[in-house]
Amino acid sequence: MSTQPAHGDATIAVSDELAARDDMIVCREVDKWFGDFQALSGISATIKEQEIVVVLGPSGSGKSTWIRCINRLEAHQSGQIIVDGIELTNDLRNIEKIRSEVGMVFQQFNLFPHLTVLDNITLAPIWVRKKSRPEAEELAESLLERVGIPEQAQKFPGQLSGGQQQRVAIARALAMEPRVMLFDEPTSALDPEMIKEVLDVMEELARSGMTMMVVTHEMGFAREVADRIIFMEEGEIVEVGTPHHFFTEPAEERTKLFLSQVL
Amino acid sequence: MTDPMLPPASTAMGAEPVIPAASPPDRPSLPPGRWIRENLFPNTRNSILTIFAILIALFAYRGLLNFMFSEERSWIAVRTNLRLMFTQAYPEHQYIRVWVTVGTIMVLAGVSAGIWARWGGVTVKRLMGWLMSGGVLTAAGVLVREPSVLTDAAGESVRDDAGELVRESFAAAMADRWVWWAIAIALLALGLVLWTSLDDLRRRTIEIPVAWLIFGLPALLVASTWVVRYGHYGFTEGEFIAEPGQLVAMTTRVPWTFMWLILVASFALGRAARDRAIASAQAAEETPNGGPSDEGADDDAVPELPRGALARTRTSVNLLWVLSPFFLYWVVMRDPEIDYAHVFSTMLPMGLAFGAAGAAVLWLLTRSDAGEVGRLAAIGLLLLAAFHWVAAYFGWYSMLQVARIAFLLLAVAGLLAPNFAGVAAQRRRLVGAWLFMVLIAFYGATVINSPSTVETPTDMFIGGFSVTLLVSVLTIMLSFPIGVLLALARTSRQPIFRVLSTIYIEVIRGVPLITLLLFFSGVLPLFLPDGMELAELAAAILGYTLFSAAYLAENVRGGLQSIRRGQYEAADAVGLTTTQRTGFIVLPQSLRVSIPPLVGQVIATFKETSLLAIIGLFDFLRMANSVIPNQSQFLGVRRENLLFVSVVYWVVAFAMSKYSQRLEQRVGLGQR
Repeated sequence: MSTQPAHGDATIAVSDELAARDDMIVCREVDKWFGDFQALSGISATIKEQEIVVVLGPSGSGKSTWIRCINRLEAHQSGQIIVDGIELTNDLRNIEKIRSEVGMVFQQFNLFPHLTVLDNITLAPIWVRKKSRPEAEELAESLLERVGIPEQAQKFPGQLSGGQQQRVAIARALAMEPRVMLFDEPTSALDPEMIKEVLDVMEELARSGMTMMVVTHEMGFAREVADRIIFMEEGEIVEVGTPHHFFTEPAEERTKLFLSQVL
Repeated sequence: MTDPMLPPASTAMGAEPVIPAASPPDRPSLPPGRWIRENLFPNTRNSILTIFAILIALFAYRGLLNFMFSEERSWIAVRTNLRLMFTQAYPEHQYIRVWVTVGTIMVLAGVSAGIWARWGGVTVKRLMGWLMSGGVLTAAGVLVREPSVLTDAAGESVRDDAGELVRESFAAAMADRWVWWAIAIALLALGLVLWTSLDDLRRRTIEIPVAWLIFGLPALLVASTWVVRYGHYGFTEGEFIAEPGQLVAMTTRVPWTFMWLILVASFALGRAARDRAIASAQAAEETPNGGPSDEGADDDAVPELPRGALARTRTSVNLLWVLSPFFLYWVVMRDPEIDYAHVFSTMLPMGLAFGAAGAAVLWLLTRSDAGEVGRLAAIGLLLLAAFHWVAAYFGWYSMLQVARIAFLLLAVAGLLAPNFAGVAAQRRRLVGAWLFMVLIAFYGATVINSPSTVETPTDMFIGGFSVTLLVSVLTIMLSFPIGVLLALARTSRQPIFRVLSTIYIEVIRGVPLITLLLFFSGVLPLFLPDGMELAELAAAILGYTLFSAAYLAENVRGGLQSIRRGQYEAADAVGLTTTQRTGFIVLPQSLRVSIPPLVGQVIATFKETSLLAIIGLFDFLRMANSVIPNQSQFLGVRRENLLFVSVVYWVVAFAMSKYSQRLEQRVGLGQR
């Protein structure tokens, strides 16, 4: 990949031992506590390049915590997280490196309310990727086209509907040309009629070959788009499988219980 | 509540789509009689309260008028000494410097207003309200003011046998005040004519541009200098000349007229620039462009985005505002006597060396492969700069102060270098900024270290309102960045910054300002190393700055705490560094939230400069309170001056408060 040579030599040497070449995200025995409460216990999983993984589970099962650990919005306490061959440690340079390779979409959109839609999208490409302003604006306009709202570029986030805001947030993440996209319950804060427009954008993204990890409650999306489904409960991975396996013949009792409640 | 007839059923049939009306329904104004009944006398209790409040207001109004129009007042002291109160004893033959200063401010103010201001208009109804209220107030004033004291042929007040002043009869007093009656009637008549000639809808919709009022009132003031005998005051060849009752000198009238013209002209200039930018923006929008880069023909037009052009104009106007106080004070007003031998032998070569060497260092530090070595080198620069200051304190070796400052600036630029690394355009921007800073530092040092040639009876060459203004402007400008840094430090994750900042803020907030000022003007000089001096004014500004910074920091901190965690996470997730996150995301939002308390602090600082009188500087208040009452013509005249000074303070503070309200509305636009 084009980003590969930018890594220091040492990082690459280590990364070859850490993970296979097409492993995008590797977690090994990840533990995370909030005070005395263990939010994640012994999470181990590998996400391959171009794979779409949907994480399901009841509220409080640690799905969001896990996805937030992957770009270090939360720090894990033990175990290994390796993203694109770089291990997440307290080293600030690795964190910055990983964050610019990993796009994230939040439940509450978290757009910057004081900047226009265009500035929201171009800020990071200009200052982190060091693109020129015209170049970044061109990219932003093509991304807005892609998510279906090219006419909103000069508006402020507060003037948009929730679905439009979330699509801007997706465009903002894509503007960094990430290798992986993380979605943390992207449709949970939306009115029902807006959920579809966001899911459509995510499906299009999945078809384009982006590696995606999605925490969601949208069973339809999981069934249609996911390559694999990871089911979590109480901070543990309970079951992993293809959508077909997961929705038709789940192995674990807890999975069956969950499915009976949500379907 | 106002309309109980509204059918409640309309909400019940929510299934039907409500078609929004093209415009909200017209609500005609109430007729005056009904308005008064509904708002002032709706029931017995409120009627009693209304009458009570009106009586109190009239009583206060009467007291004010009796004070102002009493025969004991000598307003002529204020009128004659206007120039003294604003610029103290600035020599007459150098007064052109004052006019250049005022003119520069007028140009900046006019252009800024032209570019930024969205004043809108005042409805005729409102204007009418003002006119008629003015008429009623004038008439009420004529009625409630006590009759004047009788004077005999020699102009002495007449006293009766008991020694009490004899006043004219009420009827005579009313007749004597015919001028005021005329004014009152004229105002009322004008209001009534407007009222009757327009129907209600037009009264509420026809607007008069506020710009007319904003430029019209100063025009009236300026015009009055050509007619009214304000009296004159000047400081010529070491002598004060006060001439009460004269027409204002030509050397004042003509420049003020000129100032007004400059203001209007620069407003027109700014407006024209803005209109042109808006027009070309609309033109660009109308041009159909399917894709951003599809047609090569349109590409030539794209780089000239009007948004960018207008933004650049605005940035340069802002920069001029920031630089102008220093330039106007040290160069224009102070007229420094520059030692050119020293400039050519030392300052110029040194400045060039710093500029060139610093530019080379920064160019290296912004290479994309500078990485960790670059960061370490920047920290090395910082340590070197700090060492020079330590050495200065212990006197290990001598070095020009400006060199120490330049080292410090270079270190700061070096620490910022990673944010500009990689792209040539951004590297050039950092180096350009560095060269600009070097220019400012060396030019500033040369000018500040040169003695002033302005000769005045005190050691300060300006006084009165100009000192008040200078100290408040410099204090606000200097304390603002310090306050923001303190607030960031107090909310930082680094314990050492947090503790130091907290201690500083709590200590300063626990000490009265006057104590701090006395400390800085009287005690601090004793602590300074040998050969280092602190001018009285500099000491005062330092004291004010440190004080104000602590309060500003607390206001900014309030804003910082209002930023939701998601904003930090989103900034982190797109890969911004901590500096970028703070500069682009956190600070802009938190400063918006803190506008009201920040402006409150700015107003407080402006008013607190009146404490300068206590540490012996001749500020605005001291002029009024001690200088004028000691003039031979106006011995003991103090109250009039104090009232005038209060009004000037109030006008400035009120303008700032109004401006902050508009600012809030404007930046609130994107927030919704």
